[in-house]
Amino acid sequence: MSSQQTGTALQTTAATEKITITKPPLGSPIRRTYVFKVKRYDPERGGGYYWREYKIELTNHETVLDGLIKIKWHQDATLSFRYSCRMGICGSCGMIINGVPRLACETKPYDLGTEVVTIEPLSNFEPIKDVATDFSDFFRKHRSVKPWLIRKDETEQFEKLETYYPQTEEQLNEYLEFAYCIKCGLCYSACPMVFLNKDYLGPQALAQAYRWSADNRDEGAVLRLKVVDSENGVWSCHYSGTCSKVCPKDVDPALAINLLKNWLLTGRRRR
Amino acid sequence: MGMVSASTLRRWQYLLGIVLIVVLGIHLAFRWPSYEQSISYPVVVNQILNYGYIAAIYILLYAALAHGLIGFRTLLLELWHWKYARITVDVVLIIIGVAVAVIGTIALTGAILTLAH
Amino acid sequence: MAQQKQVKRVPPKWSLWFRGGLDEWLLIFQKVSGAILVIYLIAHTLVISTALGFGHPSELTWNTVIGFVEGPHVAGPAHVGTIIEYLIALLAAVHGGANGFRLILTQYFGVGLPRPERHTFPRAVPSVKKSGQAWLKYVAIIVVIIFLILATLVAFVW
Ligand code: SF4
Ligand code: FES
Repeated sequence: MSSQQTGTALQTTAATEKITITKPPLGSPIRRTYVFKVKRYDPERGGGYYWREYKIELTNHETVLDGLIKIKWHQDATLSFRYSCRMGICGSCGMIINGVPRLACETKPYDLGTEVVTIEPLSNFEPIKDVATDFSDFFRKHRSVKPWLIRKDETEQFEKLETYYPQTEEQLNEYLEFAYCIKCGLCYSACPMVFLNKDYLGPQALAQAYRWSADNRDEGAVLRLKVVDSENGVWSCHYSGTCSKVCPKDVDPALAINLLKNWLLTGRRRR
Repeated sequence: MGMVSASTLRRWQYLLGIVLIVVLGIHLAFRWPSYEQSISYPVVVNQILNYGYIAAIYILLYAALAHGLIGFRTLLLELWHWKYARITVDVVLIIIGVAVAVIGTIALTGAILTLAH
Repeated sequence: MAQQKQVKRVPPKWSLWFRGGLDEWLLIFQKVSGAILVIYLIAHTLVISTALGFGHPSELTWNTVIGFVEGPHVAGPAHVGTIIEYLIALLAAVHGGANGFRLILTQYFGVGLPRPERHTFPRAVPSVKKSGQAWLKYVAIIVVIIFLILATLVAFVW
C-alpha cells in the first residue's frame, strides 16, 4: 500500500563495519476521522438488531480492531466483540467489515478507503452479543471430522512412544496449505451453502478433513471419508469458492473440498 | 436409501449428466430446422418410426428422470431438516419417478406398436 | 445464556457474490433451474403421453392436446408454447453448461484442480480463479451462446 510517507529516515551506523543500515521511514501517521457503523444486538435489551454510529480518529497504521478497542475505552463500554492476539493468528476477531468477512485486526480503515466503516457480526453464525458470535456449531462440525493424527496402532502412538513418523518436504507440501487454518470462521460465514443447508459441515471442517487425511503419518482417512461422504458433507459444496476468496490465511478450502470429492469418486487421493 | 452412499449417488448423477448432454442434444436436434413443423402429426409419426431417435428418447426419459430426481432430492434435503425428511423425500420421489416412467413407457411403446402396423 | 434468542443468523451479503467471479450465482442458478427443469420434465412427459393417447395415437388427440398446450399465436410462426419450450431448452443448456459440466469435469476427472502447494503468502490465487478453471467457464459461455443462436433460429425464424 502507499502508506510509506516522507519523513526523516533514521540512519543507524554500525561502527565495526562501514555499512549504513537505513531503516524504512516511518513517517508521520496520516490521521483521519472514521464513522464506525456497528450492527449491535443485546439479548437483555430485546428487540433484535440495532445500529449505532461512533466517530473515531485513527491513523493509517491502526486497524478496525484498534478502533473498536478505543470506542470501548472512551465512548461505549457496552460494545462487545471478541479478540485476543491482535495479530491475525488466534482467529477470534472475525466480523463482516464493509460487507465482507474479514479479521478486524488485519483490516485497516485507511486501506478500506471508505469514511464509513460498517461492522456486523459474522453471517451464518448465531449472535451472542453485538459482534461476538456463537462458534459452538462451527467447532462441533470441526470435531466431527476427527481433525487429529489417527494411527492404527494406538499403543505405539500413545504409550510406547518409540517411533518417529518421518516426513519429507514433498509429503509436507501435500497438506501444508490447509494446515495454516486459524479457525476464524470467515469461510463458514461467507459460504452460501452453509446458509442454505444449516447442517452442512462447512469449508473449514472439510478442509481440515483433507489436511489430516493427506498427511502421510495419518492412517485415519477411511474414518474421515465416511464422515464427509454425505449430503451434509462434501456434496453440499458446489465449488463457488467464496470460502477461498475470503480466507485471511489463503487456505483455499474449496480446493481441499474438491480434492476430497475427487478422492471419493475415483477411490484414491489425487497427487 | 440408506444402502447407497452419497458418493455412489453422485457418481450416477454425473454419469447421467454426461449421457443427458448427448441424448438431449439429439432430442433438440430433431426440432431442426423448424420447431413448428417438427411437432406436426405427420412429422411426429416419422420420428416415432425412426428407431435411432426413439432409442434416444427412451434413454432420455429414464436418464432425465433419474438425474432430475436425484438432484431434486439433494435440494430438498438441503433445505429440509426433519428427523424423517430423508425417508419421506426418498419414498415420495421414488413413487413419482416410477409413476412417470411407467406412463411414459406405456405411451411411447404403445405408439410405436400401433404406428408400426 | 438463559436468554431467549430474538434474532436469527443472517445470510452472507449478496454483494459479496459480485466480487471476484460469478461462481456464487452459478450455484444459485443451478439450484433454481434444476428445480424448474425437473417439474417441466414431469409435466412434459405426461403431456406428450396424453397427446400420444397413452399408446393409441391418433391425429385428432395429438392436434387437440398439442394445440391446447401450444396456446395462441404470437409473433409470426411462434406460439406461447414455443416460447416456453424455447426458454426451457435454454435453461437446460445453461443449467448443464454453467455449473454442471464444470462440476463433473473438476470433481470426477480433476480437470483444473491444482495440486496443493506452498503458496506465497499473503494473497495466493484461490483455485477457483486459476486459469485451469477459467477456461472451463469460457468454453461453457461460448457453447451456451452458440446454442442460443441455433435455438432462436429454430423457434422463431424458420
Ligand atoms: S479456512 Fe481460512 S477462513 Fe476458514 S477458518 Fe480457516 S483460516 Fe479462517
Ligand atoms: S485478534 Fe487474533 S486474529 Fe484478530
